[in-house]
Amino acid sequence: MAAVAVHQFAPCITCHAWSPDHSMIALCPNNNEVHIYRSSQDKWERVHVLQKHDQIVSGIDWSPRSNRIVTASHDRNSYVWNREGPEWVPTLVILRLNRAALCVQWSPRENKFAVGSGAKTVCICYYEQDNNWWVSKLIRKRHDSSVTSVAWHPNNILLATTSTDGKCRVFSTFIKGVDTRDSKAGSSSDSKFGEQIIQLDLSFSWAFGVKWSPSGNTLAYVGHNSMIYFVDDVGPSPLAQNVAFRDLPLRDVLFVSEKMVIGVGFDCNPMVFGADERGIWSFVRFLGERKSSFSGSKYGSQFSEAFGKFYGQSKTGVSNDGIDPSRSRGGIHENCINYSCIVSLGEEGSSRTLRFSTSGLDGRVVIWALENQEDLSEYL
Amino acid sequence: MAGKEEFVEADNAEAIITRIEHKSRKIESLLKLFKPVEALKTALEGSPPKTRDERCKSANWIVVHRAIMAIKDVDGMFSTLDPEYYDILMKYLYRGLSTGDRPTCDQCLRIHEKLTEKAGLGCILRALADTVNTV
Repeated sequence: MAAVAVHQFAPCITCHAWSPDHSMIALCPNNNEVHIYRSSQDKWERVHVLQKHDQIVSGIDWSPRSNRIVTASHDRNSYVWNREGPEWVPTLVILRLNRAALCVQWSPRENKFAVGSGAKTVCICYYEQDNNWWVSKLIRKRHDSSVTSVAWHPNNILLATTSTDGKCRVFSTFIKGVDTRDSKAGSSSDSKFGEQIIQLDLSFSWAFGVKWSPSGNTLAYVGHNSMIYFVDDVGPSPLAQNVAFRDLPLRDVLFVSEKMVIGVGFDCNPMVFGADERGIWSFVRFLGERKSSFSGSKYGSQFSEAFGKFYGQSKTGVSNDGIDPSRSRGGIHENCINYSCIVSLGEEGSSRTLRFSTSGLDGRVVIWALENQEDLSEYL
Repeated sequence: MAGKEEFVEADNAEAIITRIEHKSRKIESLLKLFKPVEALKTALEGSPPKTRDERCKSANWIVVHRAIMAIKDVDGMFSTLDPEYYDILMKYLYRGLSTGDRPTCDQCLRIHEKLTEKAGLGCILRALADTVNTV
């Protein structure tokens, strides 16, 4: 069984994040609050409610080393929450946006965080010691539409974004005084703040959910046209692969190793993609158990029901007024796994992830384990 | 600059139309030989989604329509049609459904049902979500 634990926290969850030791979970139950639950003897106990935002919280990230939470909301602001004694103390970050903030992520060194927004803008925020203040620097006029997802390269400088204009872009986020020129990082650290390194124009529809592989050599993102894109050698001459799959589109991806990607989305069941020894990516299988009846006949029955209505007009005989008995999806999640709802539970500093969690519009958080999936072990 | 691009586009369009006319003759001969699947493959090959010229798109649709309507055995068709044609065929099926013509819609729905079983919902998504490369 790939799903090791299922918890129902709320009627609907927009995003979630884990504490550094994975004993606590912060999640937004589809409103302006962030709830923090702690696990104690098989039970989840609500220990904190973070109330500061005015509108839906669209992104949460919990930094593993500095133990800080950053939240982004449709109210166009962000808060950085610091643990002081028993309380979480918020610090307002004015993002200088005129549209909703949609996603947020800490940089690997945790000295910056990036916020994508509906204002076609990406905010790079960093702490200014002198003023005791988080400053937001904007990358403007680069995106033609909302920024749906942001992902940091392990070198702490490069940031990948996806947008509803269908493109995936990589920017330099070098900030003087925050980042140091590093000879190891190569040419990427020579670029100025906001410089666009590359623009990938592979998708003809909305792009969501971008991630770097643990080494930073490969980039993966998804399109709303049931495609997933893998890009190697991000730079002047990138190598791109498009993989089309037969099911509903994905919303987000997660690299669990250099050769294996988990995709989640409207199909409610995580999909596994793997790279063979030549580096060719392909769909491997669904992670959750799915009875064989689902594969062909499920679609068949769904569609013959809809078609029956057409046929009923054009031909005679077929009456299809019954309710489809296979209504429930038969999976662990019963609704779409939303964007920013797949979180790695890997060890800090490890290049592979054996456990991860997903949350969805059904309000469940599911923990998945890859340990006992023998057919997948070659990709790990 | 814009004028020049238009000129290139128009020049291109003539070439594409000529190619489609050639294709049309080939399809007719294939249909005479009772090879409807071969005819459909020929019709779908080199479809001009990249051009914005509506004349090219319409010309190709007429050819594809001819081939689609000639398909009698839908199950048999899918045993010989390669998966690489699925996405483009789905786009033409939706174009067929949008005509509202009764026999065309009947035929397109028949194929659509089988195609969805074969290629999944992702194929429909790719046909609907792509607003750039329309047919």
